[in-house]
Amino acid sequence: MKLRALLIIVSCAALLLAAVLVGPRLEGPQGEFIVWQLRVPRVLVGVLVGATLALVGAVFQALFQNPLATSDTVGTTAGATVGALFALVLDSSRTVQGLPLVTVCAFVGALSGSLLVASFASSRAAHSSDVLLAGIAVTLATSAMASGIQYVSDSRALFAAAQWSLGQLPQVGYRGVLLLAPLCTLSCALLLLLTRPLQAFALGEDLAHSQGVNVPRLRLFALGLGSLGVAACVAWCGPIAFVGLIVPHLVRRLLGSSYRVLLPMSLCVGAALLVTCDAFARLIVPGRELPVGIVTAALGAPTLVFLVARGRR
Amino acid sequence: MAELEFVDLSVKVGARTLLDRITLRVAPGEFVALIGPNGAGKTTLLKTALSLRTPSSGSVRLSHRSVSELEARKRAALIAWLPQHIRAEEPVTGLESAAAARYRFRESHAQSRRAAEQALARVGASQYAERRVTELSGGERQRVAFACLIAQQAEILLFDEPANHLDPAQQLEVYRLLGELWREGRSILCINHDVNLLHHVGDAARVRVVGLRAGRVAFDAPFESAALPAHMADLFGVEVEALRGSEQRFIVPRARSTS
Repeated sequence: MKLRALLIIVSCAALLLAAVLVGPRLEGPQGEFIVWQLRVPRVLVGVLVGATLALVGAVFQALFQNPLATSDTVGTTAGATVGALFALVLDSSRTVQGLPLVTVCAFVGALSGSLLVASFASSRAAHSSDVLLAGIAVTLATSAMASGIQYVSDSRALFAAAQWSLGQLPQVGYRGVLLLAPLCTLSCALLLLLTRPLQAFALGEDLAHSQGVNVPRLRLFALGLGSLGVAACVAWCGPIAFVGLIVPHLVRRLLGSSYRVLLPMSLCVGAALLVTCDAFARLIVPGRELPVGIVTAALGAPTLVFLVARGRR
Repeated sequence: MAELEFVDLSVKVGARTLLDRITLRVAPGEFVALIGPNGAGKTTLLKTALSLRTPSSGSVRLSHRSVSELEARKRAALIAWLPQHIRAEEPVTGLESAAAARYRFRESHAQSRRAAEQALARVGASQYAERRVTELSGGERQRVAFACLIAQQAEILLFDEPANHLDPAQQLEVYRLLGELWREGRSILCINHDVNLLHHVGDAARVRVVGLRAGRVAFDAPFESAALPAHMADLFGVEVEALRGSEQRFIVPRARSTS
């Protein structure tokens, strides 16, 4: 098992390195600029976003005892979408404190969506299935709002919104990395501290409660921290599908459900997966970049079906 | 030593009354067997003792403090639970499960694992240490959960039909273990459908049997009391026969009551 984990870590590192190097041949100062000012920061953003989405997915699946739970399930993405649409309709070129208005609004939207669900989750009486239902309710309500906004907006804003909703790693340079890094690192580091109580959840929420886990408090912490990290990711990159869903399942299949392994390994694999998908997205159509969200969804859906089919055997 | 007390406890869900003004005390070091027809409120009573359900009125007291006011870890030091159904969707190993049950202790993972290994050995489940609970049968999983309960090292132990889904040999083994934990000084409240299994805890003369019907205490009698067969016949609506073994009395249902 240790050997297998080590092997996975090494291949993840190799994939990250390869993602920086692949592409058209680069020479001279221009090549150096492309590598250091464009590719490296983009890979770093990919690492942060992929790792955060995957870890939060693993945590939420444990928390809700539901293999389908991700940050999308608790209203984060839906909230971000409404925020982003709002900004795009208002004026996509405007900035707040030097940050794009879209990013700021998406961040606020993502946090408010998940806080709505979290406030419900922290109530004593709520069971995890109730929390999932609250998440679905918030998602439905916000998508109604999103449709409403789209209905009254012009075609330019609609096109921008459609592009945003595909999800891509933006060229944000080192400034973007510096803005993302603290939020993602904080969120991931604190989530990793919840390994022990989350492990107690493996045999059921009620048993964990009887073993001394403060369930409402754990839920509030995990939801709050997870949403913070994901909100930052979604705000910059839009909703990137499937990473939070696939990665924990993949790791679980390979290494089992000891969260002391599952959570940190989800971080590694999530980072490598998103960066690799992004490299694909750069190269697959010559001269044109695809949004990475399309690649993750295209790869993710069949992978999920494959994992489920194998698991049933 | 911890004491568990239900004081005038009622639990209502909507218009339905699950528990109706129950007053019951499990003294330190006592063994109480809880019997009753399906839907009598037995499991609800255990869940209320764990603060998994909130009383509509009355209270559950653990060593004279309301259970709902206890900090979760402190509660877990006093009372532990072997549920009837164990969720097993996560491919977590037996050892990891038992180690996770040590949550209330502030200790290193290595210490948790050592305690978990001992607990698994005690219930004869060491062979499941590295196996995933998703691959275990219902009975095997039950034993892993039993190891979790032991690893938690609480003073009061709640069991919800611990012999369910087990073969006869395993049933005897579970009740023998129950007796062992009891003699170590723990208090035990155990939901049970076959009172004859209580012979295997040893010292059955000190066991109390409490009958629950429609959320109320129907009777409360020593296991060896002469009135127990009649109480049980009344409780379940069956005719029962008390058979004399060489040393023990067995109570078996014979037919449904005609009245």
